Amino acid sequence: MLILPPDRAGFPAQGPSRRFPLNSILKSTKQWFQGKNLLALGILVASLLLVACDANAKQSTFGTAGPVAEKQLLLFNVLLWVMVVVFILVEGALLYAAIRFRRRPGQPLPKQTHGNTVLEITWTVIPTILILGLGVWSVITLFEIDKPPASAADNILDVTVTGHQWWWEFEYPDADGNGTVITTANELRVPVGRAVEVLLQSDDVIHSFWIPKLAGKVDVVPTRNNRLWFLADEVGTFYGQCAEFCGIAHAQMKFQVEVLSQEEYDAWVAGYGQEPQLSAEAQQGKALFATCSSCHTSTGVDDPVVVDARQTAFLNGEPRVPAPNLTDFATRQTFAAGLAEVNRENLRIWLNNPDDIKPGNRMGELAAIYSDGEIVFSQQDVSALIEYLLSLK
Amino acid sequence: MATATDVIARPASASGLWSWITTVDHKRIGILYGVTAFMFFLLAGVEAGVIRMQLAVPDNTLVSPDVFNQMFTMHATAMIFMAIMPMGAAFFNYIIPLAIGARDVAFPRLNAFSYWTFLFGALLIHTSFVVQQVPDAGWFSYANLTEKPFSTGLGIDFWALGLQVLGVASLAAAFNFVVTIINMRAPGMSLMRMPLFVWMTLITSILLVLAFPVITVGLIELTFDRLFGTNFFNTAGGGDPILWQHLFWVFGHPEVYILILPAMGIVSEVLPTFSKKPLFGYPVVVFSGIVIGIMGWMVWSHHMFTVGLGPVANSVFTITTMLIAVPTGVKIFNWIGTMWGGSIDFKTPMLFALGFIALFIVGGLSGVSHAVSPSDAQQQDTYYIVAHIHYVLFGGSIMGIFSGIYYWFPKMTGRLMNEGLGKLNFWLMFVGMNITFFPMHFLGLNGMPRRIYTYTSDYGWDWLNLLASAGYFVLFAGVAVFLINFIKSVKNGQVSGHDPWDAPGLEWTIASPPPVYNFAKVPQVVGLDHYWLVKRRAEAEGNPITGPEAYVDPETIHMPNTSYWPIVTAFGALVLAAGFLVEFPWPYIKFPIPFIGGIIAFIGVLGWSLEPAAPEAHHGSEAHH
Repeated sequence: MLILPPDRAGFPAQGPSRRFPLNSILKSTKQWFQGKNLLALGILVASLLLVACDANAKQSTFGTAGPVAEKQLLLFNVLLWVMVVVFILVEGALLYAAIRFRRRPGQPLPKQTHGNTVLEITWTVIPTILILGLGVWSVITLFEIDKPPASAADNILDVTVTGHQWWWEFEYPDADGNGTVITTANELRVPVGRAVEVLLQSDDVIHSFWIPKLAGKVDVVPTRNNRLWFLADEVGTFYGQCAEFCGIAHAQMKFQVEVLSQEEYDAWVAGYGQEPQLSAEAQQGKALFATCSSCHTSTGVDDPVVVDARQTAFLNGEPRVPAPNLTDFATRQTFAAGLAEVNRENLRIWLNNPDDIKPGNRMGELAAIYSDGEIVFSQQDVSALIEYLLSLK
Repeated sequence: MATATDVIARPASASGLWSWITTVDHKRIGILYGVTAFMFFLLAGVEAGVIRMQLAVPDNTLVSPDVFNQMFTMHATAMIFMAIMPMGAAFFNYIIPLAIGARDVAFPRLNAFSYWTFLFGALLIHTSFVVQQVPDAGWFSYANLTEKPFSTGLGIDFWALGLQVLGVASLAAAFNFVVTIINMRAPGMSLMRMPLFVWMTLITSILLVLAFPVITVGLIELTFDRLFGTNFFNTAGGGDPILWQHLFWVFGHPEVYILILPAMGIVSEVLPTFSKKPLFGYPVVVFSGIVIGIMGWMVWSHHMFTVGLGPVANSVFTITTMLIAVPTGVKIFNWIGTMWGGSIDFKTPMLFALGFIALFIVGGLSGVSHAVSPSDAQQQDTYYIVAHIHYVLFGGSIMGIFSGIYYWFPKMTGRLMNEGLGKLNFWLMFVGMNITFFPMHFLGLNGMPRRIYTYTSDYGWDWLNLLASAGYFVLFAGVAVFLINFIKSVKNGQVSGHDPWDAPGLEWTIASPPPVYNFAKVPQVVGLDHYWLVKRRAEAEGNPITGPEAYVDPETIHMPNTSYWPIVTAFGALVLAAGFLVEFPWPYIKFPIPFIGGIIAFIGVLGWSLEPAAPEAHHGSEAHH
């Protein structure tokens, strides 16, 4: 409780004595921030800023590899330099005013100005013009990148992306121009130099589809059919992740875009869903996989009716949920939405306790192969299951 | 009931806990608001610490993803609704009546009701920690993640119900301040003679009155979805999750100005005082505040650029959002114009005001870069946005609020805060804030999304995160120095006199701390910067003013009396809302507790209406005048 003392007239010129030598510390600090030290600090800060914009980082918006991200970056770069200039001018004026007009001992009351109409109109009109100019250019860019250019119109690859808590499903309604349908997960494979138009869908909550080096994000909203397009100029792996908070494993909802040469892409499409060669152990694993197949498909394209039934079951509180299609599992680099490299050790960790790799995932929560957080299969069965999964190519 | 309330007299105690519970004095309510809000500021600051410690290094397992999600949800919810807004309310309460020459607000009991409702709403949300079912869907709680299949447990219910209670508090306070400012100004104080802080409070209050009903609609629909199975946002039942986003941001964007305009008002008081020059272009600063208040309603969809509203909608909101930078920029230029040619005294309030301008410029500029929707497609929901909002809310609102605390502390306590500690406080917060939040710009541009509880070291985000986390400790030290300074100064601060800064406002004409009646004689306002005019005139006449307005016997001035009913009514509102957390397995009546709350609130309102005017137990005709 505040005890408020009554007002007393008078206002002593000296403060009370302090044990802590605060003023001298402040003074020596002030002296330090002068001359060479200040210059060194400035150079240090400037070089830190340069290092901080890292075009090589996996998801850097500076390391663009396609026209959509490039146009977005160009706009940002121009805005950035305008911002830098305005920053220097305005902060400079502020600093100058603060230093130049600091109070000096014995100074009389300054001239009491109340405003200056010409000045005030000037500093209203100039920013307005600047902003409208940038605004018009922004709107032009906005329409430019909204749809693929007409030149690419007859050669567009359509992909339907479905965001699930917490992984990505990719469906190709026509992967090769001959009506080949493909369903895969977490790794989007596209041919280089071809425009890809993505239809964004969700059957649970809102996600956001984002591949920083290829295109800015567009939200994946249930009830909506949002679209996004991108084109990759170069072969390689590009990383993305969900950008709209979507629940406990939001941080772990990653994916990658594999940009392949046309030949590699064609080979993958042609090989998709072929009957895999199974060893005896893998055969045994396939039998065990029957339990898994209530959520996972491993033998080709997903049937939408089956997927819908899984989702309805989940919403009704049953232990089923749409889960990644595993048909071409062994050809993928990673599993668990980009979290772990596909290899025996990681798969064993995952199968024994998925939460060790991805806390909060639905498999650990719902799958029938767990009881009290322990897998009901023997380690031999787990090995067989891994063998089966690694045969899926 | 009428007979019952007739025999319940007005409470009469003038000191002790009971006097605070029944108080209707705007100054006491202001202190209650300020102290409570500061507690929540500290709590939300600790939550921020958990976030920063978890993200300090890659693959960290300090907290689980559950706890992390709860931390960022409660950090933002508490900072926005329980710290910054009520700290603004603390200043409105304490300062506005003094600044307009009034003896209290228009509705003193409603004012007390606002505070208690705010306190109860804030406690209701925080009770979620006690029952371990903490809100975890973000302060924006986007549907349909908040619907039952995706958010089981009571966390979202705590959040939605608590915010509805807080909304009642905000609305009651806002109505009160609109009426107070419009009706209770001292003679001579025309609108264009009102101090800037009063103007910004008026605009903020109008924004609150218009914005809170919108979020209330959303919150009621969300509550209905969760408790009664409606389908407003439930996609499986045909609901639309984007409807929530529109409702939330039609409220949410004006809310941003609700948070920043009071700070702009404070800075517009502090700069002229410490530059010894009137505010440069007063009418322009006033009108740019009004324009911001109006344009704040035309920009909400810039929070939704990636939702898929289409290029036409995105174009419109790009242009309107960019244009709002103009009135904001004009304010900054006018503040610099105020300093230009002045005689600047770098006392702590002035340092915080300068810090506000310097940091708000950064936040304003980054704001323009994501006003541009194609560029925002890369920045939306990344740390770039986190950097931006902290430059405007910490660099802006919090710096402004600290400026206000240092500025008006002597008025509230009669003592000055320690200058040395104040400067240390400022520099620690200024430097700490930049170390914490500036690297986040780069994190965002390097592709780090918001609200992720972990990251791996192959993304190149490690050292920037570590730097940001290190900055937290500097900020923490700054706030600790403030607390030490505050506690020391309340007890032993240098006695300030009534007008330590040679300030222009009416509040400085009276004693510090002000007597319960504020002004012995209702002042006659002679112009903008009233007290400067009065003091300069007195100096010119060779008769300078050295002391405050003289004390008079408080018994000779009629002041509003204390009352039990505001806290009773507020408690009823709390029970009404909290009752929806407990479902009974009964047919028909699943939620009986809200009825009890309704009855308590009804009794409160009835007692309120029939309360006798005087503290003595009057009967008969006098009570029914």
